[in-house]
Amino acid sequence: MGEMLHFFANSFFAAALLSVAIGVVGSLMLINRYNYLAASIAHGSYGGVGMALYLGSSILLGATLFAVALALLLAFMTYRRHRHLDIFIGVLWAVGMSIGIIFTDLTPGYTTDLLSYLFGDILMIPNSDLWFMGAVDLLATLFLSVFYHQLLAIAYDKEFALTRSVPVALLHTCTLLLIALTIVMSIRSIGLILVIALFSIPPYIAERFAKNFWQMVLLSVPIAFFIIASGLTIAYYLDISATATIILLAALAFSITFLQGER
Amino acid sequence: MRLPAVEVRRLYFRYDKEYVLEDVTATIWDQEYIAIIGPNGGGKSTFIRLLLGLVQPTKGEILLYNKPPLQARHLVGYLPQNVNFNLEIPLLAREVILQGRLGPKKFRFDATDYKLLAQVAKELEIDTLLDKKIANLSGGERQRVLLARALITKPKLLILDEPTAAVDINAQKRIYAILKTLKMTKIVISHDINILLEGVDRVFYLNRRLFIHENIPLKLKNNGGHFCEMELFEELKRRCDG
Repeated sequence: MGEMLHFFANSFFAAALLSVAIGVVGSLMLINRYNYLAASIAHGSYGGVGMALYLGSSILLGATLFAVALALLLAFMTYRRHRHLDIFIGVLWAVGMSIGIIFTDLTPGYTTDLLSYLFGDILMIPNSDLWFMGAVDLLATLFLSVFYHQLLAIAYDKEFALTRSVPVALLHTCTLLLIALTIVMSIRSIGLILVIALFSIPPYIAERFAKNFWQMVLLSVPIAFFIIASGLTIAYYLDISATATIILLAALAFSITFLQGER
Repeated sequence: MRLPAVEVRRLYFRYDKEYVLEDVTATIWDQEYIAIIGPNGGGKSTFIRLLLGLVQPTKGEILLYNKPPLQARHLVGYLPQNVNFNLEIPLLAREVILQGRLGPKKFRFDATDYKLLAQVAKELEIDTLLDKKIANLSGGERQRVLLARALITKPKLLILDEPTAAVDINAQKRIYAILKTLKMTKIVISHDINILLEGVDRVFYLNRRLFIHENIPLKLKNNGGHFCEMELFEELKRRCDG
């Protein structure tokens, strides 16, 4: 009973920490239209999970290194506006996943459920992950606080930001690195497949009500927490998958907001 | 003595193998009002991007107030073409205008920035728009906000890329009227030949090569402004080829 309460408490802590990341990084993803890039990093970083399993090292470390490498590569390609960018993003996505699958196959005696990395399990978050999530949240909040106006200028009109000598390439790269770290911190709780939906929906809803970007970020946090906490509670009482329930709740909230906007 | 604001010498620029600009030489004087016209794909926007230091020349030299473009950015105000903005961002008009005060090491706005904001908003009569979301403004209102963003830098040189595209006729008149009152060097790209009736000093016709005409606005006025765009371009081309 005590152990179950511990897991449940950890999952609510994880929900709170995830909500902060969704508010800050999800909102940055949305205004920069980086969702496809983020999805590529998320799926591609499975390569790091597979390699870490094969080498017997920390999965968090493997996924982090792989995601950071993907983010740097994508930052370079997107900044240069490469002609075949869409294809490149799709290839990275598939290659990363394939590397992950092959290394997992090659790992002797591997029995861990693969689905736990693809779909996550927010009820099984260890304390060490909570510290990592807290550190990423702190980094993301500091980054946004310091570069708030410059990041908005780039998202609104990159060319004008360049004429003001704003360090566009550096901030673009840092934003993608932050997205990579946020994805890694979410692997165990929501998984690689579902992470993008959960990072997109609360900022999308918040944007409808926000007058400026700070409001969008601040509104996204409680919206995200409400969705995750409700999903956890429903999943507990119905004894169904928590992550899938959270995503379906988020999709329901998205649909209602979308249909209201279309009226 | 007239000071040169922009000096362009033997400028060439190409994307891949094809030259977009060839052997362009021109001097624009301080306080001059220049209109750049020409067909689509004639190199107008590329010329502006070169002046702003957003792309580098394949050959040739550009000086803005005796400095290379990258070192002269603080002297330049820029109003880009109204096509690439991300309107999904919840941004207030005041936040957009203040973006003009950003710099490589400037992250926060101070009292001077807010004072300049109030000043430029009053000058352009957009005080009442400051707390509105930029996405909710009309095309004309948005252009005045973007003009304020360009002017809040207190530029010596103002570069405008199609400032009246996608705005109604009243908004066009208002923007041209504002431009006339501004005491600085002005370069306006336009495919709208009405610009030629708005007090410009010289017309640059750019179609890969540059042709400069001193008296087109006067001639247009004499003709009652009845030149159509194609006739004007043909006339310019004929004279330049000659």
